[in-house]
Amino acid sequence: MISKSLALKVLNVALSTGGDYAEIYVEETTPESFMLENGRVESVSCPQGYGCGLRILNGFRSVYGYTSDLSPKSLLSLAEKLSASYSEERKITVEKVVSPRVKQHINIKDHVQDVPAETKINYLKEIAGITQSVDPRIVRVQTGLACTVKKTEIYNAEGPEAKHFTNVQERTRVFVVAIAAGESGIETSFSGPGSSDGWNYFTQKIDYKKIAREAGEKAIMMLTAKECPSGRYTVVISNGWGGVLFHESCGHPLEASATSKGLSVFSDSIGKPIASSCVSAWDDGTIANEWGSDNIDSEGVPTQKNELIRDGICVGFMVDRFNGRRLNMAPNGTARRQSYKYCPTSRMSNTYIAAGKDDPEQIIKDTPLGIYVANFGGGSVDPSTGEFNFSASEAYIIRDGKICEPVKGCTLIGTGQEVLMQIDRVGNDLALGQGNCGAASGSVPVNVGQPTIRLKEITVGGRGGKLE
Amino acid sequence: MNFGKFFELAAENGITESQIRVGKSKALSISLFRHEIENFSVNDSQSVAAAGVVNGKFGSATTERLDKDTFPFLIKNILLATSLNEKVEVADIFKGSEKYHKKNVYNPALAAVPTEEKLALIKSIEDKAYAADPRVCEVEVEYAERESESEFYNSFGLKLKQKSNYFYVVVSVIMRENGVTKNNYAIILDKDLGLVDPDALVKEAVEGAAKKFGADSIASKKYPTVINRDVMSSLVNFFLSSAIADSVQRHSSMLEGKLGQKIASSKLTIEERPLEKNIFFSYFDGEGVATKNKVVVKSGVLKTFFYNRETAKKDGVESTGNGVWGGGSIDTSYGNVFVKPGKQSFDELIADIEDGVYITDVAGLGTGMNETSGDFSCQAEGFHIVNGKLAEPLTLITLSGNLLKMFKDLKGFANDVKMSTGSISVASAYIKSMNIGGK
Repeated sequence: MISKSLALKVLNVALSTGGDYAEIYVEETTPESFMLENGRVESVSCPQGYGCGLRILNGFRSVYGYTSDLSPKSLLSLAEKLSASYSEERKITVEKVVSPRVKQHINIKDHVQDVPAETKINYLKEIAGITQSVDPRIVRVQTGLACTVKKTEIYNAEGPEAKHFTNVQERTRVFVVAIAAGESGIETSFSGPGSSDGWNYFTQKIDYKKIAREAGEKAIMMLTAKECPSGRYTVVISNGWGGVLFHESCGHPLEASATSKGLSVFSDSIGKPIASSCVSAWDDGTIANEWGSDNIDSEGVPTQKNELIRDGICVGFMVDRFNGRRLNMAPNGTARRQSYKYCPTSRMSNTYIAAGKDDPEQIIKDTPLGIYVANFGGGSVDPSTGEFNFSASEAYIIRDGKICEPVKGCTLIGTGQEVLMQIDRVGNDLALGQGNCGAASGSVPVNVGQPTIRLKEITVGGRGGKLE
Repeated sequence: MNFGKFFELAAENGITESQIRVGKSKALSISLFRHEIENFSVNDSQSVAAAGVVNGKFGSATTERLDKDTFPFLIKNILLATSLNEKVEVADIFKGSEKYHKKNVYNPALAAVPTEEKLALIKSIEDKAYAADPRVCEVEVEYAERESESEFYNSFGLKLKQKSNYFYVVVSVIMRENGVTKNNYAIILDKDLGLVDPDALVKEAVEGAAKKFGADSIASKKYPTVINRDVMSSLVNFFLSSAIADSVQRHSSMLEGKLGQKIASSKLTIEERPLEKNIFFSYFDGEGVATKNKVVVKSGVLKTFFYNRETAKKDGVESTGNGVWGGGSIDTSYGNVFVKPGKQSFDELIADIEDGVYITDVAGLGTGMNETSGDFSCQAEGFHIVNGKLAEPLTLITLSGNLLKMFKDLKGFANDVKMSTGSISVASAYIKSMNIGGK
């Protein structure tokens, strides 16, 4: 998108005042989205994004700027403005640009944006029809599809040889929201599968008819659900999206942006036990065509499979180049950003607790009284204290080893340190679930994941009094 | 760019009515960590959004790429969007309001302050924060400034322009004592740099964190609950989002069928004042409709919903000037909200509570709130109120309830009103009873 000769000029201006690393990130995004209300197309949009971010590091200092004007004049002026922050002798002169080969983890055969708009709209109409037909109390169904193609070009230099990378990301997500109204009020249910795969993922790999039906059924079920009890209980969390608990309570505090500055509860934890010995966990940006995968990260480092926890012992962090300097750790392909408007930092990609040995059904059978969380709405964490919260969108009471009545308004709270030690059973049914994670460098697509797990005891907040 | 050309090209392509908006923004941000500039950022961006109507169908497109292909790109995508649009409502482009209440809110003095002075300001805040308490172990201070300019034109000759700027300074502190970590932050958002009081900002952040040491949970039950103004601003925001006419018309709002009815305690009066001359001022909305100040809830009675032109037409009323246009379809929003405060001080407000809870912060409200039913449950922290006074700090408790019920149980507001960063001005509120989950 910008020529190598211009990139060389910009990098050399950027490094003229003593910077020890400079990086140009150019991006062009062409999203398309279709939004339907009750099976009728209400909005079609394709907001084109275009711009460049420039970063210069000097030791523990970083300067960043961006512009949506990619003319040589604009880029050189940005480089001058940013380099004015430093006032040292030049350390690096960039002489040439090389383009290293990067292993590809994303391989799409049937691009979603090549599928005619009418085909995608008819697919969304079919989903809406199935959800709507579940029950007359479904008063509103929203369906949508968003596909984003992002072309990026990175030039980075920390010596006389600049590296040049080009990359294309293509991600698609389909969602259905069912809204049910009854005498007790209004309830909503959401399902949103996503992938870095092609159109066949949505039509063949997932059972979209089942997803559509279940969205309707869950909204109806919640109309009659009782309020969740509050207190400290044993909680079993389902596989897949249940992994958002690990994502929030443990994943964020293991990001170098938190650990490098002593801002995380896990800052000094490498080599120490931070979880129950039945827990091992990974962050893997290389899983073929997965929602959180990529070929390279946002600063030009190939993605990797990074081990975070082995048998309860903390063995790694997600490390970006800048925060890695404080930690004296090499970047491991986890620097991500929403767009050129964000400076990259360490983020999760596909992060999961590895499969254990237990049969998930047996875990339920072995639980006399507790809560089964089948699905979470989401949650958040404070990395400095480890305090987290999650709200369940689908939860049930477990009595005598059986999943019984549904409950609503269930929130789990605690600290990451506590919850990881509370895991006493890990199932053999690992699955991933798609989400968008928001943090300092914007919203990025991530997979959360885990097998069915059990927490011995955790604080549950709800409005239903004591569990009996 | 010559926008006359856009309207010509649009008309040639069968788009008889159209509008275009150009947004430009500049931003500066500086953050300190351990006495060094950790991040310094300067940004400059622009975008163009355009919309048109073909055979009564609306379509729009947006791009950040401004070159010779911009207009053809916008027109091609408007045509695609209009051809696929299946809304039954007939759309048109707004011609213009009779009168606009334009005010100049841009503060050139802010942009003129040299970066060195802004840096010196946050350095002094950082020094004061480290010196404030020996338990302070980490401090982060950030200065951010943003300038935005918006121009709106339509094919009927309407031309509107607005320019604004603001800054914020946020200081976050982490304190440690006997292996226990507590944190807090304080923020100021304004357009006059002279209003920053470094001592007051540091005091708020450090004292707030210090008070959290020794926090514990509390027995689960219903308590008389006082909610501070920051948390109230989030709750008021969720409440007002239910007053967006679109949600009401699509049966997704707890306020459906409640216009003109008493929905809350008579202590609740909420106004939206887009024409208030502050950093949130706005004199035209996303459709070019002149904005106006309005009472939304008066002494507990719901007086109006928020309308854009399409939802207003459905209900047979005028647009309230609440349309927003991000570049896709026209949505509805609000800002510059003023909740009428009470007359009592905070201390007077809690004076008659024997055994209650004061909530100072919540986490997870975004996912813990069912926006359609108003049921919510979130993580919270604060203080126990014993015999009319703040007692021991509380942590890892849950606050749960229903928004409508909460506003019905509202006993009153204190007079400690403050404008939130989300443009909602509200004071601490006393709720008769709420569910607190703990031990």
